[in-house]
Amino acid sequence: MTLNKLFYPKLAILNLKKNSNTYVPYILTCIGSIIAFYTMVSIHSNKGLEQMPGATNLKFILFLGIIVIGIFSVIFLFYTNSFLIKRRKKELGLYSILGLEKKHIARVLFYETAFVTVISLTLGLIGGILIGKLLFLLLLNIIHFKSPLAFQIDYYGLLITMGVFLAIFGLTLLTNFLQVKLTNPIDLLKGGQHGEKEPKSSWIVTLIGIISLGIGYGIALSVKTPLTALLLFFVAVVFVIIGTYALFISGSITLLKRLKKNKKFYYQSRNFISVSGMIYRMKQNAVGLANICILSTMVLVTLSTTVSLYIGQESMRRDFYPLDVSIVGEVSNTDFAEINQIVEAEKTQANVEIVDELSFDMAKFRAFREGNHFKKDMVEDESTDALYYQTVSDLVIIPLDDYNRLTGENKSLAANQTMVFSVGDNYGEQTIAFGDEQLLVTEELESIPMDFKKTQNVGHVYYLIVKDDAVMTAIYQAMKNDDDPETTLHALMFNINGTEDQANAFSANMRSAVTQSSPDIKIQNLYESLSELYGFFGGFLFLGVFLGSLFMMATVLIIYFKQISEGYEDSERFEIMQKVGMDKTEVKKTIGKQILMVFFLPLAGAMVHVAFAFPVITKMLAAFRLTNTTLIFLCTLVGVVVYALVYTAVYLLTAKSYYKMIK
Amino acid sequence: MRLLEVKNLKKIYTTRFGGNQVQALANVSFSVEQGEYVAIMGESGSGKTTLLNILASLDKPTSGEVFLDGKNIVTIQDSEISAFRRDNLGFVFQDFNLLDTFSLQDNIFLPLVLAQKNYEEMNGRLKPLAKRLEIEDILPKFPYEVSGGQKQRAAVARALITQPKLVLADEPTGALDSKAAMNLLKIFSGINDLGQTILMVTHSVAAASHANRVLFIKDGEIFNQIYRGSMSNDDMYQKISYTLSVLASGGDDVE
Repeated sequence: MTLNKLFYPKLAILNLKKNSNTYVPYILTCIGSIIAFYTMVSIHSNKGLEQMPGATNLKFILFLGIIVIGIFSVIFLFYTNSFLIKRRKKELGLYSILGLEKKHIARVLFYETAFVTVISLTLGLIGGILIGKLLFLLLLNIIHFKSPLAFQIDYYGLLITMGVFLAIFGLTLLTNFLQVKLTNPIDLLKGGQHGEKEPKSSWIVTLIGIISLGIGYGIALSVKTPLTALLLFFVAVVFVIIGTYALFISGSITLLKRLKKNKKFYYQSRNFISVSGMIYRMKQNAVGLANICILSTMVLVTLSTTVSLYIGQESMRRDFYPLDVSIVGEVSNTDFAEINQIVEAEKTQANVEIVDELSFDMAKFRAFREGNHFKKDMVEDESTDALYYQTVSDLVIIPLDDYNRLTGENKSLAANQTMVFSVGDNYGEQTIAFGDEQLLVTEELESIPMDFKKTQNVGHVYYLIVKDDAVMTAIYQAMKNDDDPETTLHALMFNINGTEDQANAFSANMRSAVTQSSPDIKIQNLYESLSELYGFFGGFLFLGVFLGSLFMMATVLIIYFKQISEGYEDSERFEIMQKVGMDKTEVKKTIGKQILMVFFLPLAGAMVHVAFAFPVITKMLAAFRLTNTTLIFLCTLVGVVVYALVYTAVYLLTAKSYYKMIK
Repeated sequence: MRLLEVKNLKKIYTTRFGGNQVQALANVSFSVEQGEYVAIMGESGSGKTTLLNILASLDKPTSGEVFLDGKNIVTIQDSEISAFRRDNLGFVFQDFNLLDTFSLQDNIFLPLVLAQKNYEEMNGRLKPLAKRLEIEDILPKFPYEVSGGQKQRAAVARALITQPKLVLADEPTGALDSKAAMNLLKIFSGINDLGQTILMVTHSVAAASHANRVLFIKDGEIFNQIYRGSMSNDDMYQKISYTLSVLASGGDDVE
């Protein structure tokens, strides 16, 4: 009896060792997932991070990461586990025939899972603590967080991670029990020989695939504005995913079967073997390949968008802040002479330079555009978000003498005339009407000192240059909303020259001094929101790289498992073909070609997906005010190239172990 | 006419690190006439599979010669050997060796496709063959969808479709039930009656009793042979059984 107690754990260890070529990668995956999960949890709950401005954004991004990694771990570990158990059915059947009862087999399986769990959790958590620290430092660096934060061991996080993964391992064990329980020894013995469930290839599924892929691509291509891009992106993603699965599962086989029907083509020695081999492989691998294709697409999209956002944040900032600082106050209750003095004083003290200074009167209000009419209220009663953003406009009115002074031009306008500068598309009408007042547009300006043209802007901003203060005030009084200031405004804008630290010090001191003298004044300062932006985009980049690596790991593993399972089967086929009179080199060539096609098909699919996703990605990033299409294109291109290289490297490495198998 | 001639065949296997040497074939010589149906019998480890592999040009002998239709197959270049095998030899294996990626029809076509025959010719050859082997109805099926006997008949069709000079069969009834085995042996006798030369390696007395001649191999040497002459299958069976028991008990006093 005592021997019996030790027997099962020993057998379990033996089994793990014997199947090490599949179990080692499996355990590595488990460890990787645990590290990823724990790292996210511990960074998310780090106390020090909360001191950071914009921490809520960052924490939300990290929380998203936890959810994604959690779901991913469940799906992926289940997938790999089912792969492993399928491979081992023969072995389990043998035990059954040698006299182990099902409950004994279950006991062996229990010990195996227990060992895997203990090894994975121990190494995973230790790794999480070590790598977590490293990644945390990386994150701080990415988000430009200066003050050093302690990265403590997060005991709560350890517990959560342990709980989640114990549950996952428990569930995989249960499904393995079920597998053993539901099958008889003979089936177990044959289990390894049955391929993956043969997907039905039908024209209907293929058609569904083509249609949903078409819809997905269609949406991606037809999206016009950033807002619809944000709304429709995930709809398109769902369609593309459905299409990918349908086409991989059914479309590929339908196509190959058509090729097979063409007797002249099919019965050529080259096509004969590759077509039927591909049909067989696609039947077995369709789902796995579709998985790889979608994972690859996700890696590429995540990496290229987050990297673009991070690199592009400098130019995005300019969209939000045409100049570093803008100080805007009501003419009636603000002493701009005093504010100028304060700025001068702080500038000297912080040792920064002030450049591009603009000082001008203006009126600012929001109205809804309908043709050449601007109205105080929404045009339509049934207001929808999309309509709101299509019609809402910010209007800035500036008197001509300020414009002439700032630009050095010498334009003239009558009281019923105006010059228009639109931040987005040109205004395009001959007149502008506010209620009963109508102004003639004499000119559409191409540039203006206080702002610049932005492509794909969300909402509309129009600058109107009018004859004088009187015209400006008249329009303002007619159009202003209840919560707008009583009188027109004066604005002071400038850029700061100096190091980031100097600029930060200047900004903080200036704000406190200015608000002390005029409490109602509005200050917008690029430097004050810098850390928030860093946190936001840095957080995205961090998550993107993090998830990208995780998905990449998954892809690598799926490829590896595929190669191994193919290797076992192909070694038999390889022999038979030689016996029937095929050259060794010929056989190797055909098999190699098939494998190449099978493994690069998902990569090609992913690249096509990314190409079609590109327009919608650029639009979506435009919603974040990243409009530099060249930058996005370059980031995507570099991402694709790097990914293709990694993919190829993985392929070559696993192909090696594959060829070893068929020798 | 002499179709196959084996002269002083010797095969010594050396274990991987050069330590032990195992002699699989000591000194084997025999010949097969055109249209003969020869069975080779022997216990496990007697060297009969090694012999078959050499005849099949899947393995090279340590020394000795094998002539098929006057051509020494031991000296054929590696690059030509596949084509040679394809054109001259037909194989029937114990475990069928059908590819599960192909339907039965495509499995049968495989050697012809490799030889770059066109579809019309292949189909023309298949039709009568499939009829004779009674597999017409199952041609579009895949190997995993049919019984062992049906698989083996498809494998026979694959061996015959190239119209080979010699059919080599390695335990063709080994994985079949007795009914399917009898059926297959009848088919072999039938094709032999049509002039096909067959060389079969087998354990089974019943299988061997269908042959014209039975060679016994023991410890890597031809030990004895029985000619059918005018014997019936049952007489053959008796004679083979007797020889085997003598063989097993030491084999000193065979008449």
